Amino acid sequence: MSTATTAPAGIRIKGIYAHLDCLLAGIEQLKSEGIRGFEVLSPLPRHEIIDAVYEGRPSPVRWWTMIGGMTGINVGFLLTSLTAIQWPMINPGGKPVVALPPYAVIMFECTILFGALFTALGAIVHTGLPGWWLDSALKDPRCNDDKFGIVFLRANVQDEARITEVLRASGAVEVTTGDDTIYEVPNA
Amino acid sequence: MQGTENPNRPATFGEANRDIIRVLLKPSMGWAALFAISTAAMIYGGWCWYLQLVYGLGVGGYNPPVMWGIYIVTFVFWVGIGHAGTLISAILFLVRSKWRTGVYRASEAMTVFAVMTALLFPVLHLGRAWQVYWFFPYPNQRYLWMNFKSPLMWDVFAISTYFTVSAVFFFVGLVPDIAVVRDHSTGLVKKIYGVLALGWHGTMRQWHHYMAAYGFFAALAAPLVLSVHSVVSWDFAMAITAGWHSTIFPPYFVAGAIFSGCAMVITLMLPLSYAYNWEKYLNLWHFEQLAKMCLLTSGILTYAYGTEYFVGWYSQNPYEWGIFYWRATGEYAWAFWLMVFCNCVAPLPWYIRSMRTNPAVLFIISIFVNIGMWFERFNIVVSSLAHQFDPAVWTSYWPSEIEWGVMIGSFGWFGFWFLLFLQVLPAVAIAEIKELIQPPTKAALGAVEAK
Repeated sequence: MSTATTAPAGIRIKGIYAHLDCLLAGIEQLKSEGIRGFEVLSPLPRHEIIDAVYEGRPSPVRWWTMIGGMTGINVGFLLTSLTAIQWPMINPGGKPVVALPPYAVIMFECTILFGALFTALGAIVHTGLPGWWLDSALKDPRCNDDKFGIVFLRANVQDEARITEVLRASGAVEVTTGDDTIYEVPNA
Repeated sequence: MQGTENPNRPATFGEANRDIIRVLLKPSMGWAALFAISTAAMIYGGWCWYLQLVYGLGVGGYNPPVMWGIYIVTFVFWVGIGHAGTLISAILFLVRSKWRTGVYRASEAMTVFAVMTALLFPVLHLGRAWQVYWFFPYPNQRYLWMNFKSPLMWDVFAISTYFTVSAVFFFVGLVPDIAVVRDHSTGLVKKIYGVLALGWHGTMRQWHHYMAAYGFFAALAAPLVLSVHSVVSWDFAMAITAGWHSTIFPPYFVAGAIFSGCAMVITLMLPLSYAYNWEKYLNLWHFEQLAKMCLLTSGILTYAYGTEYFVGWYSQNPYEWGIFYWRATGEYAWAFWLMVFCNCVAPLPWYIRSMRTNPAVLFIISIFVNIGMWFERFNIVVSSLAHQFDPAVWTSYWPSEIEWGVMIGSFGWFGFWFLLFLQVLPAVAIAEIKELIQPPTKAALGAVEAK
């Protein structure tokens, strides 16, 4: 989410939540205070969280799927037709050189294949995967387990007090700033 | 095991994580024994194939005009097995069916490995396996291209697309779960799972686009369930051979594929649920739903078998009626009646609820269905070719030891990959199980404390 409070060089702030309703309250409170530019961590896809963060904006992955499908149907048509036209004297079964009914099968398969591959590509582009180089504050195994999190990677230093107050007030069980946001697994 | 919709689900997301990944990388004696048997079968199959490569296809039992034997029979069998996985993972996802959650990951793995197995057979059937690249369009100096009007070419595209889409869909579904395994591992294992998890950390940016992509994958995979086996059926139905040239083949093949696939899911996952003590995730309720799917598709198949005979008789086409009459009374009558028994009669006890929820009955009937569906393809492929238009070319075919060896090897190959999967990847979809768990909320906690 882009925002006024995000600065190129800012402070990391992380709030860890044990309860979903507290997390949602935290997101709403931050938004109502005009504070944006945070990422939310969750161990599962909950539509309430996605709706709260993305406010109904659909993922652009759908465009990748559509373009992939359209590319596929055209590739299927061109592959079958152009290769047949190279040998127009061969006419199996008395069918026309460019015969749409049998080629429809290849066109259909190419539509699905290209649609799926473009969707995978779109997902990779928009999710930012591979995410091996994500900021360490986002790499919190607790949020793959039982906890949720709100993370600011570059919050304005002037907003630090306000943000930590909102996180605590909404029910965060742990609020950390700076390097403390990087979670070390005990006994790891 | 219980047979209810709502068994003792885990209380927390963390409990689901630990419960499902606790079985990874800890091979039991039973697993090791099955893995050894599968590997041995695979090696034996590989040896038989080697002999076929050295001495040629003459080592098979081919007897012209029966030039399609059990390689094609087993190819169609494995493609069919794959269909249940896509049905469960894609179509049941789109209709938000709850019972898919426990079984879909292993079913999807079954699909990928079954199609991997099926893909071996066109290569085996070729004889000159090194010329397999002729299947695919590639630019060459002579401008030679394949005939895209041929159903066999449609099949190449259909199966390759099916494998690619299924494999991508399978891996995409696994990514968040692999991240869970990574977070519960240490050392080199953590590094390997870290690479496979692609840096997944459950950020909302990741979930938002991931869920959108997953929905589109499901929407793209769903028509494949119907199209792939329809295309496979056209390998036969587009030929003028009596017993093959029929418009009912596509729905008949699709129903058969779902029937055999659901039965195979029962065969594989019923023992698994006991071995891993996964009652919370996989219980008799899930298997009951699979049995109902089998009952529906068994009914469709029975109707299709009847329709074939009705059309053969009513058309008064002597060739059509000749093959169907011979199929039920001739040399392969035993295979025909075995098919009828396994596919039409054996599933009938599942109409009684206590039979659908009895693990032993479920397992035994599922084995009958697997056998019956293999013989269905045997009847279609072999009996039609052995009894064509001209009585002068009527003949018989029986697979040679080499062909049986290769077929046994294919089961070993499938078992090898499936057993390996059970040890290294979560066989139950953790992220989706979490969606069934009541999320922790302070409001609910307050209500409990108030009580």
